[in-house]
Amino acid sequence: MIAVYLPGDSLVHRAPAGVKLLLLAVLGLALSLLPREPALLGLVLAGAGLVLVVLLYALAGLAARPLLRQLWSTRWIVVLMVVTQLIFLGPAEAANNTVRVVAIVVLAGLLSLTTRTAELLTTLERLLAPLARVGVDPRRVSLTLSLAITMIPVIAELARQVREAQQARGVRLGVRAVVPLLVLALRHADDVADALSARGID
Amino acid sequence: MARTASRFDTRDLARIAVFAAIIAVLGLPGPIPVPGLVPITAQTLGVVLAGTVLGPLRGLAAVAVFELLVLVGLPLLSGGHGGPAVFVGVTAGYLLGWLPGAFVTGLVAHSGRGALAGWRVALGAVIGGIVVIYTCGIPVQSLVTGLPLGATIISSLAFIPGDLIKVVVATLLTLALWRAYPPAFGRRAERRGVRSAAPTSVEETAAR
Amino acid sequence: MTPAQPAEPHPGRPPGAVIELSGVDVELGGTPVLSGVDARLDQRRVAVIGANGSGKSTFTRLLGGLVPPTRGTVRVHGIDVERGRKALRAAVGVVFTNPDAQILMPTVADDVAFSLRGSGLDRAAVVERVAGTLARFGMSELADAPAHQLSGGQKQLLALAAVLIREPALVIADEPTTLLDLGNARRIGGILIDDLDAQLVVVTHDLELAARCDVALRFAEGRLVDAGEPAALIADYRALHA
Repeated sequence: MIAVYLPGDSLVHRAPAGVKLLLLAVLGLALSLLPREPALLGLVLAGAGLVLVVLLYALAGLAARPLLRQLWSTRWIVVLMVVTQLIFLGPAEAANNTVRVVAIVVLAGLLSLTTRTAELLTTLERLLAPLARVGVDPRRVSLTLSLAITMIPVIAELARQVREAQQARGVRLGVRAVVPLLVLALRHADDVADALSARGID
Repeated sequence: MARTASRFDTRDLARIAVFAAIIAVLGLPGPIPVPGLVPITAQTLGVVLAGTVLGPLRGLAAVAVFELLVLVGLPLLSGGHGGPAVFVGVTAGYLLGWLPGAFVTGLVAHSGRGALAGWRVALGAVIGGIVVIYTCGIPVQSLVTGLPLGATIISSLAFIPGDLIKVVVATLLTLALWRAYPPAFGRRAERRGVRSAAPTSVEETAAR
Repeated sequence: MTPAQPAEPHPGRPPGAVIELSGVDVELGGTPVLSGVDARLDQRRVAVIGANGSGKSTFTRLLGGLVPPTRGTVRVHGIDVERGRKALRAAVGVVFTNPDAQILMPTVADDVAFSLRGSGLDRAAVVERVAGTLARFGMSELADAPAHQLSGGQKQLLALAAVLIREPALVIADEPTTLLDLGNARRIGGILIDDLDAQLVVVTHDLELAARCDVALRFAEGRLVDAGEPAALIADYRALHA
């Protein structure tokens, strides 16, 4: 699930983000809804799903290391699922359900690996357009998203300052350190609001 | 028809963005290992605080902004996770439950007039931060894993102690913030005519 | 160290580039922060000095339309700050003290381009203007860099570029050099003082910078207590604190 964009010019890379999102939704739904009984058929369908996902990775030229990293990152899900399902359901169903979940999660990772964040943001803005009718302005939504991206390193820096200020005084606040962080962050927000107004955003 | 975003002014937008960033930063230390099951994170603390500090609508918006950033692939979830994968996995329901969770937390915590009441904040955190989030999370987990509902509920009980600790922490932090910096609560504080008598530097603030 | 130079005529400046305040009071939450301010400023470079909490920042926020006057009228280049908010935003650019709070978009080019949002320019024109502005500020290579990775001086330069790309007729700068080292402070100060066509109102604790303006204002305890030729005014200010 630790998926960061890997540049490439495969068909998967070049496909529009909207199309990829739609395919992800369709395949995800199919994997969830395809019959699980009888157990053998269910297992075959789940396995076919996983094979399809691997083929898509191959098509993107990411079948080696990136695929293995994605699979490895699902290990906690696998452990959690196998343990609880063996207790409550039994081996065949545990295998069936676990394979399906792994296939969907790894497939979703492929979207992140082959699509730039900026492109997904643009697609998101388009997808949100119908919300204008209920009073949500998609341009303001995407503005707020960009603002938040810009602010993450700033807030992380404020958190570091709070930590250092404590260390300098030899105190450890633990979770109480969140209070000064919130104060600094919200003051920063008010400064940013001024800067937004000054740049013509109402 | 409810008009939401268009009613937010620049100050609201900046606060919403800042809180989304705070939720992200709270995930930076990574998951806190808990003996038993899947580790807990401080990010749900951020979700509850978004509700108690910003109120229902802006709190909901802050969580929505955070989750949209996760959806488009930023690795902001505790442990460096992100991308659409987390919205189709086992924890998808919990993640989506953060949205109504922050809203309900804010609704309860900000109900009533005058100063923020500790019991309302705590009640909001319990209902929004635990009841609502689990109500969304458990059925989805059951659906995704194929594990029956009853068994899923039993396996989720392991998280309750950690969540109760988070509720207490969120309540104490909210009340401390109310004393330290009332303007944090926006219009609510302004209505009461609270003037900022807040500490000005990191040093001073950290000393509290 | 040159004392104040005489104002040069600036052909780029429209006639009527005058800031007028009459009988202006500002109260925030019932507390008076500015009282009885009257001024008429038609000089190109206006320095504003005074102690912390004297009302300088409120004065700049007033001119930028970020706080309304509680009483009195403020006209900036003929625009009433209360009635003509939209026109004011187009005419006025504000540079704040802390560059971190002014950078609104993730990358350098995005942030500068953000200033042209709603300008009606098409995408290609925006890209071209942004490239031109970044080149002018020597930041072309940083176009795609994450803005938060810049140094403090580069960030303030970016903030200035983002303001100047809109070609405002008035630039307001609230302690723009306070957080910068000497080299960067000189660079930013130089751009504001020497390279600008627009009118400039700069709040500063840097008396060297103030001395290079055409007129100086001094605020104390929420009042405009002194206005005039910078060298004399600064000398009085120094004497006050001697």
